[in-house]
Amino acid sequence: MELETQPKSPGTGGGRRSFLWKRFKKQKVLHLFVGLGMIYLLIFAYTPMFGILMAFKDYSISGGIKGIFTSDWVGLRYFDEFIHDYQFGKLVRNTLVLSLLKVIFAFPAPILLAIMLNEVKHMAFKRFVQTISYLPHFISWVVVVGVSYAFLSADVGVVNKALMAMGFTDEPLAFLTSPNYFWGLAVGSAVWKEMGWWTIIFLAAISGISPSLYEAAEIDGAGRLARIRYITLPGMKGTIVVVLVLTIGSILGGGLVGSNFEQAYLLGNSINNPTSEIVQTYAFRVGLSDGRFSYAAAIDLIQSVISVALIFSSNYIAKRVSGSSLF
Amino acid sequence: MLKSQRQKDFVFDSVIYVVLFIIMLTMLYPFYYVLIASFNKGSDSLLGGVYLWPRNFTLENYRVFMDDPKWVKAFLVSVLRTVSGTLLGLLLTSIVAYGLSHRDLLFSKVYFTVIVFAMYFSGGLIPYYVVLRSLGLLNSFAVYIIPSMLSTFFLLIAISFFREIPAELKESAHIDGAGELTIFFRIILPVSTPVLATMALFMGVGQWNSWLDSAYFVQSEELRTLAFRMMEVINKSNSPMDSLAVANSASAGVTSFSLQVTSMVVSIVPIICVYPFLQKYFVSGIMLGSVKG
Repeated sequence: MELETQPKSPGTGGGRRSFLWKRFKKQKVLHLFVGLGMIYLLIFAYTPMFGILMAFKDYSISGGIKGIFTSDWVGLRYFDEFIHDYQFGKLVRNTLVLSLLKVIFAFPAPILLAIMLNEVKHMAFKRFVQTISYLPHFISWVVVVGVSYAFLSADVGVVNKALMAMGFTDEPLAFLTSPNYFWGLAVGSAVWKEMGWWTIIFLAAISGISPSLYEAAEIDGAGRLARIRYITLPGMKGTIVVVLVLTIGSILGGGLVGSNFEQAYLLGNSINNPTSEIVQTYAFRVGLSDGRFSYAAAIDLIQSVISVALIFSSNYIAKRVSGSSLF
Repeated sequence: MLKSQRQKDFVFDSVIYVVLFIIMLTMLYPFYYVLIASFNKGSDSLLGGVYLWPRNFTLENYRVFMDDPKWVKAFLVSVLRTVSGTLLGLLLTSIVAYGLSHRDLLFSKVYFTVIVFAMYFSGGLIPYYVVLRSLGLLNSFAVYIIPSMLSTFFLLIAISFFREIPAELKESAHIDGAGELTIFFRIILPVSTPVLATMALFMGVGQWNSWLDSAYFVQSEELRTLAFRMMEVINKSNSPMDSLAVANSASAGVTSFSLQVTSMVVSIVPIICVYPFLQKYFVSGIMLGSVKG
């Protein structure tokens, strides 16, 4: 171990090479280990990246992997087709509105929860609330949608039964089958599922704040709210910025704010389609269900380019505004 | 002055406790409701008013569930993929991470670039599908296991954990003549329980909950997972056309709704069972990841 960590021998060109070779041979088992991972990534991460070419080609599934390279170029035909698709406006609007609403509502929720938990002196209660609050994170979206059904559907939903029993409404409200409710439903279930989970990170940030700051503030006569405002929140700033950058970067895919695809796919149906169909569910339908591979790949590509652009620009803005950033 | 401050604190505390209590209830009650609904007679649940305990207690829902070979099969497929997927995933991820955790590893910059790039960019679903198809993985059990064996996120977490292990531990084994494989299996893995437990929890839950790969890559009825079957039932009852079609009219009062909540309980219970044991590890595990990430 000691020998290996010595600085590289300066030596002559040839000597250096044989030195490297010796080091490599000494580490050969390690390189074998790492090599396994590299081969794996090559197959499952990098080969699909070459598949992006598909979006510019007339690809047919019968061509297999080779078809990605051998099929004919069609330039931007599929991008053009998507932009002129009669559903294009609706898809873009739904995708953006859903993501934006989630950032507005689902992003501050864990921050507030972390601040409230931090004020709890009763440790057992604090731990209990925390444990309960991140349980939904481990439950699949399928179950979350099942729960929504059990609570909100017009025929068996508890909420409608209760509302009717109490005389608030004569007719069950169509929470699950009306375009008017879908956005609220999606945002609400995302908050419910992921709020507690992200609280972990914010609580970690709070625990890094020096207790002496709080003591000093208390001596200076700062009340509880003042301490939150002038000590807790500034102490969390770095973490908040990083999580916000991550959120905005993954705004289209879901990320912190919950998988947009799974929600839109599972909660969506033919009636709430005007608000529930997003770019990803559409790409899935035309791609794997209808077998239009090149067209779907083009739609996918547009989306990932926008995502990458978003993460870089939000990172840049975060760096300018607050000095902290992700990279 | 002091007294009014104390009064203010009391109000402040009360508000926080009440809000947290409400949050706790909204997190817990849905699970509780699903549980009691699964023990209530299906046709009775439809009348509404079952809020706190089963009104018409029955085990019929579970009996129908367990008598249906489709559900049983799906349950077994889910168990099998969770166990094998988690074990193989842990093995590959920790082997690769162990190699990369050596700071003096040659070409480690190249290796890390490859990993980080793969973390941020992906080819998207369609090319991925084509790759799996070319490898002959579609419609096989292997499609649940092999493509998800290595995740770049867990890799980085494991690397930073392995780096914290004191070098003396490895050195003394080296001196005793142990090879890398022996060191890895006999020394590194046993002291890495926290990070292994964290990864196992996430991989296991991911495998258990996954229905997308079953929907995308598998057509065979034999290979459907529990989560996928549940998705089918929920989607069907969620769609406006269908609604209360009784799943099996021969069995007393079982509806598609009661069957649905029963399958939900079956899928939640295993998670709740492992959760308390692994919980203490993953909080520190995720923090480690968030600091280095």
